[in-house]
Amino acid sequence: MNNNAVEVIDVTKKFKRGRGLRKKEIYAVNHASFTIRDGELFGLLGPNGAGKTTLVRCIATLLIPDAGSIKIMGKDIFKHSLTCRQQIGLLTSGERTLYWKLSARENLKFFAALYGLDNKQRDKRIDYLIELLDLKDVQNERVEKYSSGMKQKISLARALIHDPKVLLLDEPTLGLDPQFARFLRDFIKNTLNKKQQKTILLTTHYMDEADELCERIAFISRGQIIDCKTPYEYKRDLPHNEVLDLRCAEVKNLELLKNNLQRIKPIEKITLYNDNGITHIKLIVPRAETILADLIELIRQNGKILAIDVKEPTLEDVFIYVTGSRLSENTAIHQADAD
Amino acid sequence: MNLKNNLTVIWAEFKKSVKIWISYPIMLVFWAIAPFMWVLPFIFQGKALVGGLSSNAFKELTGSPHYLPFVLIGAMVSTYIFSGLWGVGNSLREETYWGTLEYIIVSPTNPIVVLLGKTLAEFVYATVNVTMQAIIATIFLGLNLTISKILPVLLIVLLLVIGFYGFAIAFAGFTLLIKEAHGWVHTLEWVFYLFSPIRYPVEISPLTKTLSALIPLTYALVAIRAIILLNKNVLHLQQTILILMIMDIFLLIIGYFTFRYLERKTKQAGTLAQY
Repeated sequence: MNNNAVEVIDVTKKFKRGRGLRKKEIYAVNHASFTIRDGELFGLLGPNGAGKTTLVRCIATLLIPDAGSIKIMGKDIFKHSLTCRQQIGLLTSGERTLYWKLSARENLKFFAALYGLDNKQRDKRIDYLIELLDLKDVQNERVEKYSSGMKQKISLARALIHDPKVLLLDEPTLGLDPQFARFLRDFIKNTLNKKQQKTILLTTHYMDEADELCERIAFISRGQIIDCKTPYEYKRDLPHNEVLDLRCAEVKNLELLKNNLQRIKPIEKITLYNDNGITHIKLIVPRAETILADLIELIRQNGKILAIDVKEPTLEDVFIYVTGSRLSENTAIHQADAD
Repeated sequence: MNLKNNLTVIWAEFKKSVKIWISYPIMLVFWAIAPFMWVLPFIFQGKALVGGLSSNAFKELTGSPHYLPFVLIGAMVSTYIFSGLWGVGNSLREETYWGTLEYIIVSPTNPIVVLLGKTLAEFVYATVNVTMQAIIATIFLGLNLTISKILPVLLIVLLLVIGFYGFAIAFAGFTLLIKEAHGWVHTLEWVFYLFSPIRYPVEISPLTKTLSALIPLTYALVAIRAIILLNKNVLHLQQTILILMIMDIFLLIIGYFTFRYLERKTKQAGTLAQY
């Protein structure tokens, strides 16, 4: 029996960019396929512009894909769009997703009406969510007076107003202070997923968030799903088990440094990028200590070493290994396989 | 969503619109003063042009020499049209600014039902405004608006706004796609002012006379002026009422299907939440 809550099958979405003769089509999502099991907390991990939000919008029926199909609880979202929308709760990042001139309660009342809740169901559900998210003291104040975190709580309450089976959480902790982001992660994991058994699609570019929360993670890069596994499987399948992380200053020639690094054996993967005058070098090696002496000597010829760190591979290291790009920041990456 | 759910949404949207509207106190002050301010330019214009508020040239075109009642009626009825254009046509753009549009579209409610709620709110605003205008016009400017004339006038206004709000719904879909409303609203205002008898009789030129026949506002204004200024009753206006009813059906159908088509185009283009 099929127990998939969400099925994304070969979905493609192209957008037109540029003007006149320079107009060209770019693939925001390129033949993406994955499934999310009923009750699973599934992550879609990728850098900004990878296609995460486009995919979420397609699943939420806000965007019509150019090809492929999407099913929610076994039903095609465009053939049964009203039924499917009733099963979906959407939460995005950003403060401006509510009526600021209305109170939390008034916002929730309005959206409850959109989901067909009668007055009795609506009031009961709002009372429950206000209690659950600790909004009782501020429920009648205008949203414009709330902090970013409080606004996100109300947005979350709105996503839950109709008790949906599937939650689409698009970068839900983006821009929140660490304390509130912590609360939200716990709430997603323990209350929504474990206790309430909601199926959750979480998009993020925070690797720690995905690593901590998700049962399975799909890596997405340039619109393509690169791989889909559990965090444990990703790390286990990485053929190398140490990451050498160096920060250097005054590097004169990045290309030359890269070429020289490629000669050191047995470095398997080299990633270099500049960020605010600091050169970050990430090397994936079987054992760091075997190359440290040669490495220090080489880098000292090209610049100044600020810090060296030997680490277990993180999900970000796996992401770099698999996709060839970093999860955050738009810094140019120089990357090479050493052999 | 069944009929009861849809009515609940219309009511919820109406309440939301009113609450947001009254949360801007300066707007309340503006709307309280506006009816007093809008009549003055017409009085000054009339005095400057013909040395008073009546002229023989005007009588040749309209059957009545009095300019002020003519223009008062034009201004009051057009309030419904322009409030519909701004309030309904521009309303989904407002939802985009507020960041709430996607949350309306992602719900199982047809966005046209939400637009109907906005239409109701806009109709109430316009009615409050026009009522204040009518009171001023009757008490201070000598407009002959008796109780017996009000019901037939309301019938014509209702027939006008039903069709026009159908057009405004199509316009809302258009603004959803093109992400711009102000320029288009101003252009439409200009078209209505030029080609319908809001401020002057369209008989002034063969072109305005011909094109005005395509605009429902023309029929409504002719009928309302006939009721108020020429003391005609509804039975004399059967043809106008029939034309307005046909236009209503046509505009509602066009409005519905145009909106659905443009909503789909917007979802295909991926510009739903774009500014």
